[in-house]
Amino acid sequence: MREEKYLLVKTKQLFRGRRRPLSHVNLSSEIDRYAYTNALSKSSPATKLFLAISLLLISVTSPTPVVPIIVFLTSSTLILYSAKIPYRFYLKLLWYPIIIIAITCVIIALFFGYQEPLTEINLLGLRWAVFKDGITLGINIFFRVAGGLSTQFFLVLTTPMTSILLIIRKARVPTVLIETSLLVYRYIFVFIEVMETMHTAQELRLGYSGWLKKIRSTSLLLGNLFIRTLEQGERTFTAMNARGYDGNIRVLEDLPKPSKTALAGITLFAVTLAVTAYLTMNMGVV
Amino acid sequence: MLFRLENLSHQYSDGTLALDDVSLSFAAGERIALLGTNGSGKTTLLHHLNGILQPTSGKVYFEDKPLKYNSKSLLDLRKRVGFIFQDPNDQLFAPTVKQDVAFGPLNLGQPPDQVKKAVDEALTTVGMAEYAEKPPHFLSLGQKKRVALAGVLAMQPEVLIMDEPTSNLDPRATSEILHLLLRLNKESKITLLLATHDVDMVPLFANKLYILNKGKLVSEGSPAEMFSDAEMIRSVNLRAPRIAHLFEVLKKEDNLPIDKQLPLTIGDARKEILRLLSSQKTSKPEATSKRRNPAA
Ligand SMILES: Nc1ncnc2c1ncn2[C@@H]1O[C@H](COP(=O)(O)OP(=O)(O)O)[C@@H](O)[C@H]1O
Ligand SMILES: [Mg+2]
Repeated sequence: MREEKYLLVKTKQLFRGRRRPLSHVNLSSEIDRYAYTNALSKSSPATKLFLAISLLLISVTSPTPVVPIIVFLTSSTLILYSAKIPYRFYLKLLWYPIIIIAITCVIIALFFGYQEPLTEINLLGLRWAVFKDGITLGINIFFRVAGGLSTQFFLVLTTPMTSILLIIRKARVPTVLIETSLLVYRYIFVFIEVMETMHTAQELRLGYSGWLKKIRSTSLLLGNLFIRTLEQGERTFTAMNARGYDGNIRVLEDLPKPSKTALAGITLFAVTLAVTAYLTMNMGVV
Repeated sequence: MLFRLENLSHQYSDGTLALDDVSLSFAAGERIALLGTNGSGKTTLLHHLNGILQPTSGKVYFEDKPLKYNSKSLLDLRKRVGFIFQDPNDQLFAPTVKQDVAFGPLNLGQPPDQVKKAVDEALTTVGMAEYAEKPPHFLSLGQKKRVALAGVLAMQPEVLIMDEPTSNLDPRATSEILHLLLRLNKESKITLLLATHDVDMVPLFANKLYILNKGKLVSEGSPAEMFSDAEMIRSVNLRAPRIAHLFEVLKKEDNLPIDKQLPLTIGDARKEILRLLSSQKTSKPEATSKRRNPAA
């Protein structure tokens, strides 16, 4: 009787689409969808990659929060206004990593450092000194990582994975790596589909009612998935052979060319930021 | 003969005898359907024609020369014989539609400009040109099947081998694929060979039928010949097309004077119905006048 009710509730949930199973997986396919459909998707991937990497490097090496904040605002503006990604989606993406970084940085701020004790806190009967350089470090790391993160979100939200890989390919990264990534990128979505179907099938047969069953179902699912990947590999290899595969995946290179002005502009901006970072080096944070 | 199989048998490594002494041959320009239930050995047979599988015993001849299985000969064969797999996910490996369709022509060593042209043409032929930059996981099953077809058409093969090209497709997608194939056969003289268990689709498409059961070739001939052999069709767990079944019932239960050759398609059925109507008019004029008289 209980089980029947459970099944009914689960089925209702599934068909109303309220509770999508594996929502973290949906997030990554949503990122992928935006990469192909955003307002900047047609602009040169080389330019976007160059911008994202230079801003990332500047942000994470910056000694004070000033430059990382500028980087964060720049990337976010590009994401929201140029690429026209809905701000709700961007916030959804930012939310978890920001919380995690914030917690990490609070821990760093409280437990690191040795110069100039600012205050003492009482921790479970222990007196614990908090130092000025610890706080500075925590704040700096938070902004550096947040700035860097925003540049990477800019990249993945505006540039299709394929284009990124094709550019990296030109930079003489070993082809095996690139080809493997191309295949992984393609088949990850096939397996997400397989996984969701299997997960739903298990769920409808009450495979997740109770933690023992949960463990059992999950291990079955993973084992099955592993075998499926092996089989898929073999079938794909056969199919590639049938179209004349000879060990090299050749690709058609017709990405939009980067404009010289854009590259020059980005370089100028990056240099300005680097100089700003240098000039604000001795600025005190706390 | 374009292809000839001679006493072909295939045993999988686990001992399953999937093909048992099959001999058949067909000429260029034909439209052939390989009909059989699930597990009857259709896929196994098709895989031999493209050199994906090698016979355990027997031989495969392409243009009267036995297939060789070194990579050079296989490449030459595969340039001319295109293969479309049942599950398009097996075939679409590239991250975008365009890259996938370009894969074959690039492997043939064509220059980029020519490849781009071939890709555009193939995608236009299958009606998927606007999806060129999309990744395959954005597409529906029917669209994926069409892209898989484009990937092979871009190599301009002379023979097209397809494993269940219409399975799991909705009626509209099925009819679109069929019309496309018929057009290719008519305009580009591409030889078509497809495996299927869809008996209603077969008469629309094929001029020749091979019936496979448990790895054995049971019978071969035109769709009309094959489907009029009701006993054989039943013995291999298939059935006649719905239209033929309807006319069989009309003939047996309602004693309509239906031709010996049962109609298999809507087109045939229409002709047969018109023939029946007109023969009724000419042969029984008094019947119609009698019915009218009381009213008058
Ligand atoms: N890789 C394989 N290993 C072992 N047996 C197989 C393999 N592939 C197919 N078979 C078996 O061979 C027979 C014919 O299969 P197949 O050619 O796929 O039939 P069809 O395509 O008509 O459904 C079936 O009994 C099937 O189980
Ligand atoms: Mg099959």
